[in-house]
Amino acid sequence: MTPNDYTMLSARFGRSDGHKLAVYEAEGGYRALRKVLQDGMSREEVREEVKGAGLRGRGGAGFPTGVKWGFVPPDADEIYFFVNADESEPGTFKDRYLLDYDPHQTIEGTIISCFAVKAKLAFIYIRGEFGWLVDRVQKAVDEAYAAGYLGKDILGSGYDLEMIVHKGAGAYICGEETGLINSVTGRKGQPSIKPPFPAVQGFLDKPTIVNNVESVASVPFIINEGAAAYKAFGTEKSCGTKLFSVSGPVKRPGVYEIPLGLPFREFFNDWLGGMAEGEKLKAVIVGGSSVPVLPAEEIMNTNLDYESLGEAGTMLGSGGMIVIPESCDMVELIQVLMHFYFDESCGQCTPCREGTGWLHRIVKRLRGGGGTPEDLDLLEHVCDGMAGLTICPLADAAVMPMRSFLDKFRPEFEALIQETAAAAPTSRWPRGEQE
Amino acid sequence: MAKVTIDGQEMEFAEGTRLFDACAEARGEALPHFCYHPDLSVAGVCRLCQVEVEGMPKLTIACNTFVRDGMVVHTRNEKVRKAARQILEMHLVNHPVDCPICDQAGECGLQNQYMTYGLYESEVEQADKVNKAKAEVIGPHVILDKERCVLCSRCVRFCEEVTKTGEMGIFNRGDRAEIGVAPGTELANEYSLNTVDICPVGALTSRDFRFQKRVWMLKSTPGVCPGCATGCNVRIDHEAGRIFRLKPRRNDEVNGPWMCDRGRMVYKDVHDEDRLTTPLLRGEAVAWADVEEDLARLLAFGSVGLAVGSARATLEENFLLKRLAERLGAGEMSGGLRDADRGVGDDILQDADRAPNRRGLEILDLAEHDAVTLAGRIGNASGTILLLGGDPAAAPEVAAALQGKDVVFVGTHAGATAALAQVVLPGAAWAETAGVFVNRQGRLQDFPQAIARPDRARETWRILVERLAAAGEDTPPASLRTVRLLLTEAHGLPDLNSLPAVGSVPAAGGAD
Repeated sequence: MTPNDYTMLSARFGRSDGHKLAVYEAEGGYRALRKVLQDGMSREEVREEVKGAGLRGRGGAGFPTGVKWGFVPPDADEIYFFVNADESEPGTFKDRYLLDYDPHQTIEGTIISCFAVKAKLAFIYIRGEFGWLVDRVQKAVDEAYAAGYLGKDILGSGYDLEMIVHKGAGAYICGEETGLINSVTGRKGQPSIKPPFPAVQGFLDKPTIVNNVESVASVPFIINEGAAAYKAFGTEKSCGTKLFSVSGPVKRPGVYEIPLGLPFREFFNDWLGGMAEGEKLKAVIVGGSSVPVLPAEEIMNTNLDYESLGEAGTMLGSGGMIVIPESCDMVELIQVLMHFYFDESCGQCTPCREGTGWLHRIVKRLRGGGGTPEDLDLLEHVCDGMAGLTICPLADAAVMPMRSFLDKFRPEFEALIQETAAAAPTSRWPRGEQE
Repeated sequence: MAKVTIDGQEMEFAEGTRLFDACAEARGEALPHFCYHPDLSVAGVCRLCQVEVEGMPKLTIACNTFVRDGMVVHTRNEKVRKAARQILEMHLVNHPVDCPICDQAGECGLQNQYMTYGLYESEVEQADKVNKAKAEVIGPHVILDKERCVLCSRCVRFCEEVTKTGEMGIFNRGDRAEIGVAPGTELANEYSLNTVDICPVGALTSRDFRFQKRVWMLKSTPGVCPGCATGCNVRIDHEAGRIFRLKPRRNDEVNGPWMCDRGRMVYKDVHDEDRLTTPLLRGEAVAWADVEEDLARLLAFGSVGLAVGSARATLEENFLLKRLAERLGAGEMSGGLRDADRGVGDDILQDADRAPNRRGLEILDLAEHDAVTLAGRIGNASGTILLLGGDPAAAPEVAAALQGKDVVFVGTHAGATAALAQVVLPGAAWAETAGVFVNRQGRLQDFPQAIARPDRARETWRILVERLAAAGEDTPPASLRTVRLLLTEAHGLPDLNSLPAVGSVPAAGGAD
């Protein structure tokens, strides 16, 4: 297998003209939409096809997309659809590629998805920092309107759909679906308590579906080729292909489309070309910064699919793969990550608001040479008070790397503490303060 | 009905019951919480009310869960207790623990819950804490300490949902998040002090009460606010004869859990410098014995021309006035000035009628009059004018009519009326007597005496009973209880001595 064998999602990646409607159409674009709207596929048929394909949400949680669509109350008549392009998970840059190189694929997938759930208005919510993407996607949406793929009576089918490209203001938490909805509504970008779930009560208190870019971009293929063709890729439970965005000192970093179930060893050696000159593999964060890190020897014997990675003690997540070389200081790396979650916590739930700041302060103290062996227990203790206790998974997203770094690389933490112990005061009270 | 097992105890609840309420009922006490408030929307952010529901993968917050038939819930097992302890620790990570100088100490949710669920050694050093602004004045009544805040968002939701003024918000994020007022605004709505009540910690404190008294020194007596016709149920917090604050007492049929800022300040009148504390004879302070001779003459049978009641006096006081007037053969009666005590009402609680007992006058068939009419009646009356309560001579027409008349005034505050009277008898202010007010809904609301009267002032009903005795009533009522029996009988009222208990005194610590 080679990178070029899988082009379900990435056919136009890296090309200078792939974002144009004419190119997309010439290569079979909007065929799936015609199939749905002109050949008379019913909403149920579209939903069944997607459900049957086993497509799972590509944003990180991996929840089956077709099942999520099924949560919309059948009698609802005002339904909204959001494409989540608030791609902010450190290490993840796949949705950016999809929208940059091939926006029409996502737009077509969105129109079909909206039809399936009977939505009349769709938003593409683009991360604030992706300024240029907003223009690119807006141009593509304009083209789609002009070609009759959006607006009133699409392709003569009687189906109407409007699409709005919305630019976020740049907050990680707005990638959480209720945070995203709140921010579009004009509220502070922070998650809402569930229930109610957005599929029942979301934007303007109406049923709302929020899907990741890659999820909806997978839909045209499923409609064109059928669920069986999609399931031909991947494993029994992890169907289809998945984009991985690879960063770190490998020979060929970038975005790759792989069939799920591909052994990491093969992906690493053959696709990425192994480590760059002079670097040695130490560990991999496989699914974006929020998933537990795996040391080289563990990841090397793991396959890249939801189940295998779960068994290995981590998660497939968003597919944001961070390759960590031997030369990297794990304590420094966790400080960077803890700063991220400290900075991005919305501050709503107490365990996350206080816990992310507390973890960050402790790690910073360690790095500053003021750490004690008890601090490592304290880090575990703080993690215990955060995990699973909040509205959204941001607290868990901070806890998972923290715990796994401590678990897998504890000697590095201990060495740092020992190294700096001589210089540090023996008491945790700074000298002179007790008098 | 849903059968729910809570801590091993099987109970039935109506469908749609909030699990939080079900647990409170089963446990006999509420789950630990800061953000949940029964009169506000659910925020679900403090994360303290976590319980274990069998079959659910994680602990769940009871405030955002509803009972289901067959639910099995644990609120006291090790897993739940551990979570509560850890989350409480998170609440205290950046808390300044400045209890010694904090007004909330003694009724603080953090203190209470720490004593119940916390009890751990702190792992955080003072130097590690996030510092925020302290003692920030955010409105005429409220002062904010951002460090003490646990960001429960109750105040924000109150301003959005109850007053709909939306002055407050949570700004910034992470552990830099802080509550505050929107730029260029202040927390100046007329219900702002409710935010102080619902603040579970010492973040929002009352500027009026600040640094006045430790809360554990205070005694609480239920009362009824005399500030308007709504008759909000209140709690009078006092010590050694001094009222320090009024707090609302929940009565869902009158005021819910709220009251207005103006009502909270009415207690200041009780301790006003203008209080009448001793009988006055033609302006001179004298002993009670010294006014007997004049009273005997002024209030002799047949000598009273007109008796004037007041919408500020209690039902019993007006009743006794009426009885006394009849006993003395007074020619005429009036309920007082119809247009006195008018203000601006709103659709939350405040009534435009600022007197607490105008409906009580209706029960007694005491008609009120406008100033011109009342002045005319005074002018036409021959004999003593007996005035009860308020300050009717504040109306210039009335003052002019009273000139040259024999006037006896039973009241609480010096003013135009007291200045005109030959005899002034110092009565009890609303907090210094038991009584009944009839609110705008016609609800009879009784209240006990909270504090002692100043100096020589006497309970107004006793003053009137003494006059009844002096007027020759064979068996004048010896107690307020007897007064109420007579009143009940005379006006076909429900037994005023056993009015249903209304309202409830909320637990300390904003635990409502």
